[in-house]
Amino acid sequence: MPQPLAATLTHLRVGNQTFLTTFYQEHRDIFAAWARQQHQLAPAAAHELFRSVLLEFYDQVADGRLTKLPDDVLEHMYHMAAQQLKATSAALPVAEASRRSRLLEQFGQLGSDCQQVLMFFYFRGYNFKKLAGKMGFANATVGRLQKASCLRRLYELHLRGE
Amino acid sequence: MDLRPYLDELERFADGQLSEAEQEAFEQRLAQDENLSAAFQAYEQFTADLRWVAGHETLRLRLRNLDKRLDERQTALTNLETRTQAARIRWSLLVVGLVLALGLGAWFLFRARPLDAERAWAHYYVPDPGLPEATAQRTNNPLLIKAMRQYRDGHYSAALHSLRRIPASTLGDDTLLYYTGVMLLRQDEAGAARSYLTRAAQLPASELAGKARYHLAMAQLRTGQREQARVTLYSISQNTQNPYWAEAQAALRAPELFPHDL
Repeated sequence: MPQPLAATLTHLRVGNQTFLTTFYQEHRDIFAAWARQQHQLAPAAAHELFRSVLLEFYDQVADGRLTKLPDDVLEHMYHMAAQQLKATSAALPVAEASRRSRLLEQFGQLGSDCQQVLMFFYFRGYNFKKLAGKMGFANATVGRLQKASCLRRLYELHLRGE
Repeated sequence: MDLRPYLDELERFADGQLSEAEQEAFEQRLAQDENLSAAFQAYEQFTADLRWVAGHETLRLRLRNLDKRLDERQTALTNLETRTQAARIRWSLLVVGLVLALGLGAWFLFRARPLDAERAWAHYYVPDPGLPEATAQRTNNPLLIKAMRQYRDGHYSAALHSLRRIPASTLGDDTLLYYTGVMLLRQDEAGAARSYLTRAAQLPASELAGKARYHLAMAQLRTGQREQARVTLYSISQNTQNPYWAEAQAALRAPELFPHDL
């Protein structure tokens, strides 16, 4: 069901990313045509740029850097893409940005199961029972122990990086 | 600050895993223990950052998977279109091939075929119809009457046999020579016919000489004497008194009979 535009940012802030995935699906080809015309990008590179722009858009909403949905979202995406290509974007305060980008990098060093567990728990908000069901663990306790173990692993990577 | 000594406790507290009494006790310690309080602050920031990372990564993976699905769908659509187009081209080629084959077949069946020498000869040769019954009856010669009937009926061998039984004294030489030649020509013995027709054509007083020249020319043509035939036919075509002058002209004009002459 299409969301009213006013509710879009609220939905994004509470973790409902459907607006962005639908937007990507509907505008991928249009964006690729724009990127080819304006920046001579091949379709695969244009798609990657579009995904990266949507991620940045999501981060801005989640961080509170974007508080009002632009009137023309696609035009806003073009503008963000042009900025990304020039490697200039409205960044977070340096300390916060570098802390998050470090954690993102460390998160990438975890195994895919651990990443999935942490995403389910910390982003999707699954309880241990649902987490166990999704991951195929025997029960909620195993789910809790697995999540605790993954968090420790990430924290240790984080400590090593400091 | 190293959170590891506090991590279990903080995690259980944050995840709501403590009993009511344990939670109350933990909250009291949190208010009194500065180190624990600092660890809790650090833990909150770490998990807040982790929530951001998890959201970011979830969206990144969702978009990547969506992209893959869209690419696959695009590829499938392209393949389908290619296959449909290939099938359409195959069918078009098949139809074109079929039409061409039918056209070729129709052309082969209904084409204006050049006549070969034998067919051309049969096409242009105008045979003698034989004596009409009434005329034959007037000769009072039963063998001639019989021979003419047989000739008209197409029984050339029998007709020739009957004709040869007629005593020479009862019928003129020219008639015998002429009809013998004509009958031999009709039963495809042009070589033998030629000598009878030559002799018949050389009888200047005979009414049949002119006709004999035409059949002689055709016998010459049939036996490959094209030059003699051409000369004979030419002389006939120049003589409008000859009953076959028009037929001789037609034969001379026929490229199938005289390819290099006209």
